[in-house]
Amino acid sequence: MVRRVLSLTSGRVAMTVLLLVALLAALGPLLAPQDPLATSDDVLAGISGGHWLGTDNLGRDELSRLLAGSRVSVLGALEVALTALVVGAVPGILSVYLGRAFEWVTLRLADTLVALPFLLFAVAVIALLGNGLTQAMLVTGVLVAPLFYRVARAATLTVARSPYVEAAVIAGAPVGWIVRRHVRSKVLPPVAVAFAQTVGTGFVIVSSLTFLGIGVQPPEPTWGGLLASDLGYLGQKPWAPVAPALLIMVTVWAGNLLADAIRDVSGEAGRALLRSRGARRRPGTTGPDPAPAPSGGVR
Amino acid sequence: MPRRPRSPGRPRTAALSAVLALLLVPVLAACGGTGAAAGGAATLKWTSTYFPAHWDPVVSGSGAQFRELALVYASLTRVDEKGEAVPDLAESWEYDDEGDEITFHLRPGLKFSDGEPVDAAAVKAAVERAQRQQNSALHGDLTSIESVEADGLDAVFHLTQVDYQIPQLLGERVLQIASPKAAKSPAELDQNPVGAGPFVITQLIPGTKAVLEKNPDYWDAEHIHIENVELTSAPDTSTVVSGLRTGVYNFADLDPSQAGSAKKAGLDVFVQPGYNASNISLNVNKAPFDDDRVADAVRYAVNRQEFVDKLTFGYGETTDQPFPKGYVAYDPESENAYPHDPAKARKLLAEAGHRAGDIELDLVIPAEDPAAEIVQSQLAAVGITVNIKIDKNWATPFFAKDLTFSLYSTTGRDSAVQTLTAHFGPDGPLNLSSPYEPAGFEAAVAEVRRTPLDDPHYAETLQAATRAGLRSKALVFTYSSPNLFAKSPSVSGLPKNPAHLNWTGVTIGDTR
Repeated sequence: MVRRVLSLTSGRVAMTVLLLVALLAALGPLLAPQDPLATSDDVLAGISGGHWLGTDNLGRDELSRLLAGSRVSVLGALEVALTALVVGAVPGILSVYLGRAFEWVTLRLADTLVALPFLLFAVAVIALLGNGLTQAMLVTGVLVAPLFYRVARAATLTVARSPYVEAAVIAGAPVGWIVRRHVRSKVLPPVAVAFAQTVGTGFVIVSSLTFLGIGVQPPEPTWGGLLASDLGYLGQKPWAPVAPALLIMVTVWAGNLLADAIRDVSGEAGRALLRSRGARRRPGTTGPDPAPAPSGGVR
Repeated sequence: MPRRPRSPGRPRTAALSAVLALLLVPVLAACGGTGAAAGGAATLKWTSTYFPAHWDPVVSGSGAQFRELALVYASLTRVDEKGEAVPDLAESWEYDDEGDEITFHLRPGLKFSDGEPVDAAAVKAAVERAQRQQNSALHGDLTSIESVEADGLDAVFHLTQVDYQIPQLLGERVLQIASPKAAKSPAELDQNPVGAGPFVITQLIPGTKAVLEKNPDYWDAEHIHIENVELTSAPDTSTVVSGLRTGVYNFADLDPSQAGSAKKAGLDVFVQPGYNASNISLNVNKAPFDDDRVADAVRYAVNRQEFVDKLTFGYGETTDQPFPKGYVAYDPESENAYPHDPAKARKLLAEAGHRAGDIELDLVIPAEDPAAEIVQSQLAAVGITVNIKIDKNWATPFFAKDLTFSLYSTTGRDSAVQTLTAHFGPDGPLNLSSPYEPAGFEAAVAEVRRTPLDDPHYAETLQAATRAGLRSKALVFTYSSPNLFAKSPSVSGLPKNPAHLNWTGVTIGDTR
């Protein structure tokens, strides 16, 4: 699937951006030109050779803080997405096979969770359990899980009604084998789309919470925290919020772009699209573009 | 060229336009940036960072939000531009010869906004409620008052000790007087305030907005030229200036970081004199501050100028006492007793047996505060590791004296003795180390209470009490932040009453 995603321009752009962000998360503190926590007398300084993005209200290097703040944002977003994946997708698949009681309970649970506003709920959890991003992101992941539950369940239901799976069931194949052999490959693409989308959502949530000063203890830098801090000094540095805002925006956009790319290359329709693109690119191929693949695939 | 014949529709269009203009012009004018509201009434649109959570003055206490409550409630006294007590509901007062009894004579014919009379019985009820109500925040401020005797318009205060601070004390901060009838239900009063102040509340959305109109029965109503007040809870600091520019507000508390933008926008930016002082609170009953050398090391580690430079944008000043420099209680002898000296701080820590990094402290604060990050960085420089912990429920452990290390900022009190006892007294709410009290402080304070305010030795006696208080190891004063405000030029200047906002004589008009 990765190869197919990379065959699309949007996929390549999204993967590049997300890879860069991942690198920032891994190496950001090492790349920081200065100590992100070291204050100085050079308060709210403009862009200069010593401070590429200027300094904040306590004289700390903005670029260093932005780089050092990447890890919290990336890990938070991944925590949301992974939690949602595990808590949502697995019961989504199993709800098709584990009987009516399990199906009924998980469906009602998903309906309930959908009704809860996750940002508000995360704030409430922090108020209850103390100021920490880990618990807030875990809870947010649980609240986002119904998306994975529904996507995985819908895909599994489609596969479960196909003749070859029904044949396997009649032949007495165990559920685990059916899931591994037939369901997993069909469920993976839509779940991958949801995952990429949720990573973007996760960035928005982490940034929103840290913007409000929730989840991390100062002076730990975060993208949202930097944005909030810079907005207080618009009179002195009107351009200062641009860098953290742009970083958040581009990362969220890349997550969504990747989701689109995965969707475009998933399933038969996606494969047909790629085949048609490949045909167009092959030298010597002339004539009108092939007709778009009808939904349902071309065999 | 022949004129085009008039369309038969035109007269109707013209008439319609005229009607629309007549209707819309006043409406749009009212939406403009001046202080005149619909109908031409002068409206104060004040956005405040201290929007009261409680409107019962007994519950609200004597903190900064007293300014907002003073819109509704009047007191026995108020302060003038010198910070001295002057008549408010009481037109005069006198002490007995011993100085342990004071009689306030109330103005005749006054009534609360619910029609109840403002008399000595109401004053007595207000004092007793402040002393006895379970959730009163004023218990500690009224320890000098033994009882109040009501005699028509004369309220006789019997004191537990000689105390010439009472007229200073019973101003807007400590004894805003509510209608005794309304106060029978304190919970109701908390959200439906009834006082005898310059304005009456007509609408209150808790935590968000209060709408008030002029109280025609206020004793000085003829000098109140503001007809309506819209008090709102201040939004994010970065949007206050925009709100002022566009006429959403015409008066606002201003963060120093916004002063430049406000000035550029043509707003009046001004500093109201006051008694603000910020401190680092140490609990000397807990390790490591139970060792004086560690507490002193923190004192020497603090660079006060950094707080002023980074937090007040030049509007504040350093202070090492619970008042700003220049205040009558500020003791020049104690000035700079602990200068910034990181080397000495490190030496003291070494003497106490602590190597760099040995001491790790949680600095517990209620909300993000750059001051905490400055403390963290300054103490790191002498080898003390500080972890900042934000606790939204900070007030409970702070006032229960359970914390070891915290920050506090006071807006001061009209009575200097009240400020001193609040910080250094054994039961002082701002003394994180209660019941610890520096030696000699109690006697020094008693001496101040015994000294009339017009005594030539008053300032000297008061400063001696400050000196005694500053022997406390529990507080490290850092800087005095400004009482900074911005207003539309349409709002006239306010009297410079220290720490107060007095609306008497203030006008709001069209400056265009």
